[in-house]
Amino acid sequence: MKANTILRIAAWISCVLVSSAQAAPVAPTLTDKLPAVAKGTTDHSKLKELQKPFKTGPEVTKACLECHNEAANQVQHTKHWTWEVVDAATGKKLGKKNIINNFCTTTISNEEDCMACHAGYGWHDKTFDFSKQENVDCLICHDSTGTYRKLPGDAGHPVYERKEFPHGSGKFVEAVDLNKVAQTVQLPSRRNCGSCHFFGAGANGTKHGDLDTSLIEPGKHLDVHMDAKGLNFSCVTCHKTTDHQVSGSRYEMTASRTGPATPRGKYDEHPAACQSCHSDKPHHENPLLMERLNAHTDKLACQTCHIPEYARNSIGTEKVWDWSTATTMDADGKRFAYKDSAGRRAFDSKKGNWTWDSFLIPEYRWFNGKVDFKVVGDKIDPTHVVEINSPQGSANEPGARIWPFKVHRGKQAYDPELKNLLIVHTAAEDDTALWHNYNWPKAIKAGMEVAGLPWSGKYDFVSTEMSWPITHMVAPKHDAVGCAQCHQNDGRLKGIAGVWLPGQDRNGLIDTLGWLMVGLASLGVLIHGGARVCVLCRPKKNEGKDEQ
Amino acid sequence: MLKLIIGIVLGAVLSVTVIFQTAGSFMFEERESPFTVEETVARIQQNVEKAGNGWALFGLRYPARPVEATGVSILPVMAIEACSPKYSGPILKDDKTRFLSLLMPCKISVYKKSDGKVYIGTMNAGLIGKFFGPLVAETMEHVVADQKNFLEFDPSQPAPPLILPKATTGGGGGAAAGGC
Repeated sequence: MKANTILRIAAWISCVLVSSAQAAPVAPTLTDKLPAVAKGTTDHSKLKELQKPFKTGPEVTKACLECHNEAANQVQHTKHWTWEVVDAATGKKLGKKNIINNFCTTTISNEEDCMACHAGYGWHDKTFDFSKQENVDCLICHDSTGTYRKLPGDAGHPVYERKEFPHGSGKFVEAVDLNKVAQTVQLPSRRNCGSCHFFGAGANGTKHGDLDTSLIEPGKHLDVHMDAKGLNFSCVTCHKTTDHQVSGSRYEMTASRTGPATPRGKYDEHPAACQSCHSDKPHHENPLLMERLNAHTDKLACQTCHIPEYARNSIGTEKVWDWSTATTMDADGKRFAYKDSAGRRAFDSKKGNWTWDSFLIPEYRWFNGKVDFKVVGDKIDPTHVVEINSPQGSANEPGARIWPFKVHRGKQAYDPELKNLLIVHTAAEDDTALWHNYNWPKAIKAGMEVAGLPWSGKYDFVSTEMSWPITHMVAPKHDAVGCAQCHQNDGRLKGIAGVWLPGQDRNGLIDTLGWLMVGLASLGVLIHGGARVCVLCRPKKNEGKDEQ
Repeated sequence: MLKLIIGIVLGAVLSVTVIFQTAGSFMFEERESPFTVEETVARIQQNVEKAGNGWALFGLRYPARPVEATGVSILPVMAIEACSPKYSGPILKDDKTRFLSLLMPCKISVYKKSDGKVYIGTMNAGLIGKFFGPLVAETMEHVVADQKNFLEFDPSQPAPPLILPKATTGGGGGAAAGGC
């Protein structure tokens, strides 16, 4: 027998021995015969309450409430249901129901469209019953299939029958399979929250600047917390939710929080703030820098350095909405529309002009968490740009920090005699809606009547701006704003009052003294060096004598 | 005599240092664009397509994307590739200058900087051409003249749509037959 054959047999025997040793029977455990562990504690597809055919959203809600019998009541106490917030300091009623913005401008008289983003069913007009529990929409936040769609024009109901959307586009939206959606509910994912918050003002990325569909499956470069292959935070990881009350509203913001971190599980009254996890002294890595960086936290919000640009993707965000060009028709008197180079909306006869861009540098302001809003009926000064919402705060307030904002600018209708912003009935297919009849006076008259406000019969357009705090799209730490981007002339914080920025700010006396010292030192060097050169170049007396 | 030699050596060192420090800025040019990154690219693409002389778009590249894939947040950069076989042909045909294919196709880069402004970066083809003999120098003079037209924008004209390449790897396009 050849040597290599013997070796092969030996190898085969050893393999068999090893594999038989590995395959030795393992003692059965108690869990072996149990089914695999499911993600949640309830498999909703097995619940008999959800195994009947559902024709409408309210029918599903009734079934949900058979077990979750406090859920609707909890939701009805939230902003997601009431669209109303009362400012504790002023008593002013805020929220989408009461303010005018400079995007679509108002929900009043336009409920049929706007309520596609209401966590409820059937808010057609002001007669909506806010106490009816079956009108709460559970599925908009708990759908796991990504198929649950609510379209403008249906007052918050999902798509019950296949329909063309947008009207006349040739594109169709399929009817929602309510049974399937109801049987596969889950805790809210980024997609759930994003189904409204990514599409505010009618298109992906329009409103906020730091919220769009790129956050459904983001990379680390876009958001370190939501990085789908990394930390993979959902919205509710930060926006900690109790009894359906979602923390961290724009209307009740935490501009600063001091003290140590209070990680999840411990009580924290500001759960959505960065400092809740990172504390107000978050920099540890570099001992040379950490003291300096941590010293910035009493003046700067974390977002100011860690969100160097917003809308950091090709989706971009809307910078300007100019309503004054709406109702402009083409040469044949027909509606027309066009897009910008990136394929984003740029003009539509229905809505006017838009300007979009990506990778935008925020505008910075002092902010103490309070925002002063203009609400329906408030007086304005049309000789100046109207600040629809103005972030409050100054350098003197201990709770204020310098925050990054997206500032959205626009032109919108106002009453030149009564000096207030106008409610315009835009949506719907009736003859008074602007998007149907292209007639401003008719649309304003209808809107103001629904709002119960007087109108002089005149209208014009006023420049407005709205400020949106930037807090999502947190970049990796090595991509934070560099020192020199602020500490230089014309740096990012140019014009921010109440803070002295080395590199940007000057003290004439110190500068003069410094330069004087530099000048004198240089002069000294020149004189000294010159004297030495003279001494070196001078012929030595001995040399002359030798030559003689 | 010693002083003269020291003076010459110091002068030479100083000259080399100055050339070394400033050569980069001579080789490349940068200008600000009044438009967004996408609109700037689209307007340049439109100008290339209208330029004649065989110019055609060759590709559109996104150099920032591979960097983003490594988890780094980076400002947008788009590189337009354009080529004219009328100009590239003679250079590629000559064995002595064929290595200049390294510089083909012509690239125009559009990018945003941390000041929030959009810039256009181009190569100084005229200067580079002068280093490689009369054929290249003459060809590059024509390229420079055409490139100047690529970067002339008429803001009164509406923003054209971005022309996306058929294949994301770049390539394709009318100039391929010319050997670019």
